[in-house]
Formats: sequence, structure tokens, C-alpha cells
Amino acid sequence: MSSVPRPLPGTETLLAPSPSAILRTRIFGHGGIVIGGSVVLGVLLLALAAPLIAPYDPYVQDISQRMIPPIWAPKGSWLHLLGTDKLGRDYLSRLVYGARISLFIGAFASALSGLIGCALGVTAGYFGGRIDAAITYLVTIRLSLPVVLVALAVVALSGSSLEIVVIVLGLLLWDRYAVVSRAATRQLRHAEYIVAAQAVGASTLRVLLSEMLPNILNPLIVVATLEMAHAILLEAALSFLGLGVQPPLPSWGLMIAEGKEYMFFSPWVITIPGIALFTLVLGINLLGDGVRDLTAPENRN
Amino acid sequence: MIAFLLRRLGLALAVAFTVSIFAFALVRLSGDLATTIAGPEATSAQIEQIRIEYGLDRPLWQQFDDWLWHAARFDFGRSFFFREQVANLIAGRLPVTLTLGGLALAFALALALPLGIVAAIRPNSWIDRLALVLSVAGQAMPTFWFGLVLMLVFGVRLRWLPVSGTGTWRHFVLPAVALGYYATPAIMRLTRTGMLDVLGSDYIRTARAKGLRWHTVLLKHALRNAMVPVVALVAVQLGFMLGGSIVIEAVFAMHGLGYLAWESIQRNDFPVVQAIVLILAVFYIGLIFLADLLNAWLDPRLRTP
Amino acid sequence: MHLGTRIGRLTIGALFAGGLLYAPTSFAGKSNDTLVYASDSEPESVSPYHNDVREGVTLARLAWDTLIYRDPRTGEYRPMLATAWKWLDPLTLDVELRQGVGFQNGDKFSADDVVFTFNYVVNPESKVVTKQNVDWIKSAEKRGDYEVRIHLKTPFPAALEYLAGPTPIYPKAYFQKVGGVDGYSRAPIGTGPYKIVSVALGKGVKLERNANYFKDSPRGQPSIGKLEFRVIPDHETQVAELMTGGIDWIWRVPPDQADALKANPKLTVVAGETMRVGYLAFDNEGRADAKSPFKEKRVREAISYAIDRQAMVQNLVKGSSHVMDAFCFPSQFGCQPDAVRKYSYDPAKAKALLAEAGYKDGFDAEIYAYREREYAEAMIGYLRAVGIRAKLNFLKYSALREAQRAGKVPLGFLTWASFSVNDASAMVGVFFKGGDDDFTHDKQIIDWLNAADSSTDPVERKANYAKALGKIAEEAYALPLFSYSSYYAFTSDLQFTPDADEVPRFDLAHWK
Repeated sequence: MSSVPRPLPGTETLLAPSPSAILRTRIFGHGGIVIGGSVVLGVLLLALAAPLIAPYDPYVQDISQRMIPPIWAPKGSWLHLLGTDKLGRDYLSRLVYGARISLFIGAFASALSGLIGCALGVTAGYFGGRIDAAITYLVTIRLSLPVVLVALAVVALSGSSLEIVVIVLGLLLWDRYAVVSRAATRQLRHAEYIVAAQAVGASTLRVLLSEMLPNILNPLIVVATLEMAHAILLEAALSFLGLGVQPPLPSWGLMIAEGKEYMFFSPWVITIPGIALFTLVLGINLLGDGVRDLTAPENRN
Repeated sequence: MIAFLLRRLGLALAVAFTVSIFAFALVRLSGDLATTIAGPEATSAQIEQIRIEYGLDRPLWQQFDDWLWHAARFDFGRSFFFREQVANLIAGRLPVTLTLGGLALAFALALALPLGIVAAIRPNSWIDRLALVLSVAGQAMPTFWFGLVLMLVFGVRLRWLPVSGTGTWRHFVLPAVALGYYATPAIMRLTRTGMLDVLGSDYIRTARAKGLRWHTVLLKHALRNAMVPVVALVAVQLGFMLGGSIVIEAVFAMHGLGYLAWESIQRNDFPVVQAIVLILAVFYIGLIFLADLLNAWLDPRLRTP
Repeated sequence: MHLGTRIGRLTIGALFAGGLLYAPTSFAGKSNDTLVYASDSEPESVSPYHNDVREGVTLARLAWDTLIYRDPRTGEYRPMLATAWKWLDPLTLDVELRQGVGFQNGDKFSADDVVFTFNYVVNPESKVVTKQNVDWIKSAEKRGDYEVRIHLKTPFPAALEYLAGPTPIYPKAYFQKVGGVDGYSRAPIGTGPYKIVSVALGKGVKLERNANYFKDSPRGQPSIGKLEFRVIPDHETQVAELMTGGIDWIWRVPPDQADALKANPKLTVVAGETMRVGYLAFDNEGRADAKSPFKEKRVREAISYAIDRQAMVQNLVKGSSHVMDAFCFPSQFGCQPDAVRKYSYDPAKAKALLAEAGYKDGFDAEIYAYREREYAEAMIGYLRAVGIRAKLNFLKYSALREAQRAGKVPLGFLTWASFSVNDASAMVGVFFKGGDDDFTHDKQIIDWLNAADSSTDPVERKANYAKALGKIAEEAYALPLFSYSSYYAFTSDLQFTPDADEVPRFDLAHWK
């Protein structure tokens, strides 16, 4: 996928570095992208290879082996590198499997809200007029609803499970997608290639999908990262309030919530998943910021 | 200007109306009201009687109409759990949430505005970088986690501030910091970009060229113009904070609106939840309406969109 | 005007408003004679008959008196609002009342109040929540200014025990003046050693010593000047407040925290035995789902074998808790743990039983719980090991009770503390005698329990309880898990003794 802004290769001198080389230098010269990218990639690998990495089954409990501190603590044990939780489950294994759940929530909630938000935003931006007004109105309504409260209420009514949490978050977080895709679509509505496509008789859907969407993808990728981070944090908050992912699933948010009881005397129980969550969200945000800097050079100082 | 006002007001009312439909639906979805009101040991005859008494046998739109008119007069019916009117419950909790939201916003502004301005005046300086680190870190931390850490450090270890409750202004410091910090990055970034844009613009250069003093230029011209988008954002953020205070209120055991909502959700007490959703939404709608007015006043160009 | 200054003024204004709204309040502790105690849940109404949570019982014992007093330490019945009582026959109890006792608003206590209270609470219109505590009463009748006759529906030998516990006396005149229970629960009045001075719904209750508490009360005179009950749902916040002196007293401290708090020299941590019994309730009748696996005896047996209650007691519940075999608390009259079938931890047997019942690959289930999330999670872990994939639904007690009565709870982790009544009827009777909370409706058990509760012959009572408890265990209608021990942690300035009935008696506490 090309992320380079429009100047076409032909207009440059032959001696100049190729666009992909420029991109490469940009990417690797950009601290945020490198750090963010490797964090996200690392967590992704961790999640994918969970069965290989995790030393134990994350669900198997042994309550005679509970609350063993991690290896660096005085009473740590090599059997459990990050110790065990309140039910004697291996904390490292739960953390590794938890990566799957947190990533799953982030990715799917963000994708679902992206689908909704982009559909609305592009429609509004492309057609304008009353459709635009109606969709703007929808966005205002969505923004006026307090997210955490509505999510809690809906989850409470429909029963909390991983799928429900993802769907509820997906249904709530589309506003930024809509706003951004609407603005981007409006800018491009009269662009040459859109007009050209319309002129050769392409259907509206086709114009939107094959001409419009690819060209507004960059800002949307940035939004996608933001919303992914947002969804992960929100799930943590929901779990903290007892209405997120339900035990025994090890989401990182739930692990913090469960560890809260021990935070005064065994702070690592809440520190470890807290740091994991912080790192992942930070990585996603850095990646998003980096993509924005790369693709929208006018925003750089 | 009047037309602009009316248009905005109309939009605000329309949004509020739609939200009220949503809030109404929330309670209807929570189960059969007559059964809940009648209590677990009621016979089906008693339930039917209550259904008629409360008008729950009428068509939904009539019930909605009825409910809406009551809600408009702050009559939200009775709590299923407490033997009390929902409006009374909420009146007791609202000041806590408003104070918390206000203080959190004050904290966010006190941190974000100076940092954002300085970061814009001296891009790439250490302050700019510090601002960047703060904003990136702020967005990556779950609020409840940050709240717990603040409680642990300043409440339990250092004992500078009380741990929970709402007794004095000191009780509000930690929660306001935890809540406000999350809003800081957005305000700071917008202040910074706004200032950068304005500072790079022609009229600032002209003003400087005319030999006006730097801080006059900065405060009188640059800041005023850079603030236009920030005002809108601040209103939005305050709305979010009131809605998002639920987590912080839970951490610090503050008996505010969000906390009441959370408890009520767990108790299946949906008349309370419904009222709180509606009130928070109306607050938000009111805030963006105010922001629109403020913006129009700050930047006359916006009056004719 | 500069926008900067405008915003600045707004900011200062907001700060100022915040400061004004919240005038400083005093801190907890001995220095200002205020004992602040915290708990995690709140009564939906302060009126003792209109809530069934411990926090409500605690308040009921502080602000109200009952006819009879059972000394929590010796178990002996002593006169309180009643000075003497006599059974005319198994259905009629005559009570003589104490003279010269006043309610906290100055009204005199008399037979009218007793008659009013009992007739009020047995009236279905009153919608009392604690029906099981009063449904043995048929009516009360005034025989003189200080004489009352109580009529029973059926012979009920445990009557005195109930009159010494969950049956506080309301002031007739005041109750009617404030317009019934709604007004009353906002500003309740009793005869007890503490007067409720303010009720903030869901937040807490403030009490003050009743300076005019009657001299001859078997409870003596209260010592601490002011009490404040604060609702703090979060245990960690409670612990943090306790460690920093914001509150003076907490209970139900999780064992791990209790162990850690012991190291703090400013705090006293004591473990108290309680009458609370944890149990698993099965949807025996398939009300949540007609094809519910819990209708099948072998499934219930399997679950009973699958959970290692001994390990839970040793590692999670700790303290003085024990594994329970019968559906009652051992100290209760009629409770005979040795007379019932016992289930030891045997996951292999559990799997075999499940396979026999047609659930070779296990099944999915939902477990509902309202306290001790980690106990519920431990049980989920054990169930998982035999193939039952349970998902946790964690609710507030009131919501869970409602869900259960509405037949929506296939599997529930519940607890019962029998309102501290030392008679098996207070536990097994509530859940198996055909009442609101009987979700089994086993005809035989209902008959046995009726026979047990209405007989005046202790031997016959015991024999009938043994049969009922035996069948509950045999059919695995419910799985009794363990008794609870409660850890109390409080400031070392306080002299406080926990009682087995899990009612904190702050009227008996004093500063050191």
C-alpha cells in the first residue's frame, strides 16, 4: 500500500531516491513508528504463539499455590516466572493468553466501529445536503451518550461476555471514523479521478469503494489505531466495574481488576497487567501518531 | 445571529429528544416493568392491576409521551431499589459529579494550556518533548489504574490527601487529577497546533513587523484565535468527563451520579439509570450549545456557516 | 477582556464553588468520640423489616430494641422491652412490657406500639422483606397498657429466638405521623441505645448516643458518643481508609488482607466465627431452562463431588471456617451434620456421574454470585476441571435475589446467615419449606419441616430436621459449602468484641 503523498515518481529526477526508499527512511527515522510498531508486533506475536510461550494452562488453578510472587521478589520461584494469582494460576500464562483477548477486543471493536463510521461518514461526505445533515445529527446523538455508562447498561442487560463487549464497544466508538471520513470525502468529492469515474458511468457504490475509500484510507488508519487503543482501555474500565469480560477469561483489564484486592500488599498483581496494558496502548498510539506524521506531512512542524 | 442561535437550539432539542427515546427504551428493555414494580411475590392478578395502575397497558408511544412530559419536569418516577423518588436521589448526587467534573477540567486546563502554548512557541524544546511524553502517557493509562496509583502514593503512602469520600475539597484533589489528566493530552495538542497555525499566519507576522510587543501579540491575537477550536473541545471534554467520572467515582467511593448509575445498573434499578443517561446527555448537549455560542462570539466568521 | 483571564476566572470560580459546597467535616476516631465504620453494601431502606442485609440488621440492633434480649455471649434470654413472658398454650404467648421506656423522640413506649408493630409487619400490604422472620405471627392483641398477647399461626417453639432478634418495635404514633414506611425510613425512631440522626440513601447513616436510653436495659448504656456508617463498596478503599485513619472499623476483610493488616501496630485484627453458611443453589425445578441439567440428580451430585471444599476452606476462606455438610449452621438447634450424606472431593467420580447423566462432554452453565468473587471463580475452576464450563454473573444481592425469585438462576453461589437466629428453621426453613425462596418444592421435605417447626417436643423436632436435612443432602438439592469466618480490622483505640451472630454491637464497644 502506498502511503507516499501524491508527487508522482516520473516528476522526480532519476538520481533521487525511490519513493519506497524515502518511505523506508521515513519509517525507520521515525522513533514513534519504530517503537510503537515493534510493541504492537511483539504483543501480536505473543498472542499468536501463546500456546508455545505459556508454560501452563492459564485456566488451571491450584489454590494451594496461590499468590506466589514473581521471580525477582525474595520469595519468587522459577516454576512461575511472574508468580501466580489468587487462585494459583500461572500469571505469565494468563498474561500471554490475555494478550489475545485484549488484542481481539481492540481489533474487532475497532473494525466494527470502522465499518459503521466509514459507511456513515463517506455517505455524508459524498452526498452532502440532507443526508449529510442527518448523519451529522446521528453523530451528535452518539457523542451525547455517555459511553461508559451506556456500555455498562447495555452489557448488564444483554449479559456480559467477550462477544457482547466487543459488539457494544464497536457500536459505540464509530463517531470519530464518521467525522474523519466525512471530512476526507468532502475534500475529494470533486477530485479529478472521482469525477472521471463518475463520467465513465461507474455506479456510486463502485466509485465510493474503489476510488474514494482507498484515497481516504490514511487518516482512517490513524483513527483505527486510536479507536483500537480506546476500545482496549474501555474494556479494561468495564472489567474493572465488573461488567466487562467475565472470569475465568484473562483479559488484561480483568487481571488488573482482580488484582486490585491485593494491591496494597502484593502490588505486582496489579502492576504487571497494568504495565502490559499501558505498553500495548502506548505502542498502538505511537504507531498511530507515526502513521499520521508520515501520511500528512503538512501536520508536521 | 438570531437565526444561527435558533438553528443550534433546534438541533440541540432534536438531539435531546432522540436521546430521550433511547433512555426510555433502556428501561423497557430491562424487563417487564409491572412485574418488577409488583415485587417478586406478587400474583399475576396483582401484576395486571399494577400494569393498569401505572398505565403500562397503554401503547408504547403514549407511555413515552407521558414519561417525557414528566421527565421534562424532572419527575423520573420511583427507584425500584430505594424507597425514594429518582429525582431526589439524583439531586443528592449531582453536586458531587459537577464539582468533580469542574475541578478535573480546571486541572486539565491548568496543565494543558501553558504546556501547549509553550510547546508551540518553542517547538522541539524540552518542554515540547515533555508535553509530548505527558500526552502520550496520559492517553495510554487506564483512568482507574491511574486513580489507584494516585490513591496508593498520595493517600496511603504519603498521607497528604484523603483516600475516599467527598467530605472536603481535599477529597476532590486526587479524583480530579485522575479524571482531568485523561483530558489533558487532547487539549494540549489542540492548543499547540492552534498556536502553531496562528503564529505561522500572516497577520501575526504583520503584527510583529509593526513592532508590537511579543507578549501582546501572543496574548491578544494569537491566543484568542488559537482558542476557538479549544473552546469547543473543552466543552466536549467536560461532557465526557461528567459521563466518564463513573470509573473515578467508583475508585474513590464518591457518591456522585456515575457511581449511582453503576450501582443502579448492578441492582437492575433502571429508572435511575435512565434518568442519569438522559441528564448526562442533556448536559453534553447543553455544553456543546454553549460552546457554539462562545465560538460564534470569539470568531464571527462561524456565525454564517 | 482577554480570554486567558476569562478562563482563569472560570477556573477559580469552579474551585471556589467546590470549596464552598463541601464544608470540612471532622475526622474519625477516639479524639472526637466518633466511630466511623464502613461496609460494602447498604440497606435499600433503613426500616428493619424492609431490608435483609447485615448492615440493616446492625442498624436495627443499634437504634431499636426487641422484646427479649439474647445475651450474645451466654446465649441466655433476658428481659428487654418485655419484662416477663409466658406460654398459655403452644399458640398463645403473653408478654408483660416494661414501663418507663421512651422512644428517641420522647414518645412513651407501650402495648400499642408492640401490637401495632406485629400487626403491621404481618399485613401483606406492608411489603416487608423479612417475611420469614414474622410469618409465624398471626396477630397481636392489647391486653392492657403494658400487656400484650401474641397469637401464633401454628406452634412455633423458636418464637422466643425470633422475638430476641429480627423483630424490633416501632413507635406507632410517630410511624403513622410520618406517613408510613417511606417517611419513617427517612427519619426512623426506635427505643435503642443509638438514635439515627441522618440517613443519606446509599451513602451512609449517622447515629448519636441516646442519652435517655432506659436504665435497666440488659445491654447497659452505650459508651461511644457518635457512630457513622459509611458505604464504601470497595474493599481496597476500605482498607486504605482504615490504614490512613479515615475510618475506624471494617469487617469482612479478605483473609489475605487481614494477614497483612496484622503487621500494622495501630490496627487490631480479629477473626470471628459467624453463622453465615455459603452454599450452591441448583435450579432443581428447571425454572431457568426446562432442559436444565440441574434437574438431574446425578449432575448435582457430580458438582458436589467436583468442588474441593476442604481446599477452599484451607486456602481461601481460612480463619475458623469449616466445610459444611448439612444445610444449616451446626450451632443451630436441629442442625445435625453427622446425620447427612457427605460428599468428598472426587473429580473422577464427578466425571463419571456426568457421563452417566448424558453429559460426557460437560455443558455450559451460568453461575450467579454476589459476594467473594474469588470463591466463585475457584468453583468455576473446579467445575471446569470436570467439564462444566461455567460463566460468572456477578450481581448485587438485591438483583440476585430478584433474579432467583424470578427463576433465572440456574446455579447460584449464595450465603445465608439465618438472621443470627440459632435455630435450624431460620435456614433450612427459609429455602425448603415452600416459602418465597423455596425453589425445590419437595413435598416430603416441606411436611417434615412443618412437623419440625410446629412441634414442641425437642426430640421430635430433631428427628424431623434430620429427615429433611438428610433428603436435601441425599438429593443434592443444594450443596452447603463452608461456614464463614469474618475478619474484623479496627483501630487499636477501640475495644470491640465480635460475636458469632455477625452483628457488630457498637453499643457494647468503647474507646480504650
